[in-house]
Amino acid sequence: MTTTAARTLVVEGREIELDPEGYLVSLDEWSPAVAEALAAEESRTLTPAHWEVLEVLRDFYRRFEMAPAMRPLVKAVKQSLGDEKGSSIYLMRLFPESPAKVTARLAGLPKPTNCL
Amino acid sequence: MALHLINRSPQAEAAYRDAGALFVEGDDLLLIEDACYAALPAAADLLTPFRGRVAVLDEDLQARGLSGRVDARVTIVDMTGFVTLTEKHDSAMSWF
Amino acid sequence: MTPSQSLAQDLAELDLIVVLRHAPHGSQWVREGLDVALVAAAFGKRVALLFQGDGVLSLLTGQQAGPLGQKGTHPQMAMLEMYDIETLWVSGSALAQRGLMPDDLMLPVRVMDVEDCRAVAHAQLPTLVF
Repeated sequence: MTTTAARTLVVEGREIELDPEGYLVSLDEWSPAVAEALAAEESRTLTPAHWEVLEVLRDFYRRFEMAPAMRPLVKAVKQSLGDEKGSSIYLMRLFPESPAKVTARLAGLPKPTNCL
Repeated sequence: MALHLINRSPQAEAAYRDAGALFVEGDDLLLIEDACYAALPAAADLLTPFRGRVAVLDEDLQARGLSGRVDARVTIVDMTGFVTLTEKHDSAMSWF
Repeated sequence: MTPSQSLAQDLAELDLIVVLRHAPHGSQWVREGLDVALVAAAFGKRVALLFQGDGVLSLLTGQQAGPLGQKGTHPQMAMLEMYDIETLWVSGSALAQRGLMPDDLMLPVRVMDVEDCRAVAHAQLPTLVF
């Protein structure tokens, strides 16, 4: 699958290509600094609570080669971080608007298909 | 009961085998598009699982020059007949 | 054609059945069927899969990406559980015809006889064949 770059984001002196929806063109370009820069664009601040969810996302992608929709995201978080955090309310609070899309972007994954 | 639709030529035997495996009394099979070739007498063996409940779409037969070559055990239906078959059954399954 | 009792219970709790009957890698059929199942599940529908004919081959263990790096369908298959798709029916005769046992498959499945497979196809549920 090839995506074309719509714009670039400069992170630590490197130009990172983003697709028209703001997702990384090349997933290998991701680093924690890139995640911070993407978050800053949307005026989000990443706390340890955000990071542990992003790590769940990256692990999900390693296992299944796809970014999760909301339902499997909740389930994956529940499996890794426990029942309390594995809820859509918790994820909505951390990543307002659309947790599945926002977390996929920040974790450097493709946009989730099958997403509401 | 179900209406089964096949659109693949007899070369794609798996479509006939897989549909036939799930075919039961009261079901119908309708051959469309390239499946019209299965309505020729030479392909009769392929249709045994369907117990004589086989129809073929006239419009697709004509397009392929097959009018007059159809096995006598196969019913020829037009688009209205296709609709009637669809109405008669609870569900339809397409085998590609 | 009457489903066995435990199957009847499964059927009563479903919204959609997806039938997979093609082998992986050679075509897009398996991927498209799985996509439909996953989208439906993401929308909260309760989905079951029936593996019939060559479809049982899409469950074989040990699958990898293609020689040119083409993604396989096995990661998607492994992901079904994350979408709560856990009703996986496999045609016993399709397995036997290919010399396979349930142990050769990557996920726990329910092996079905031909009568139960027919009952699934006639359960009057939305059924999509891929």
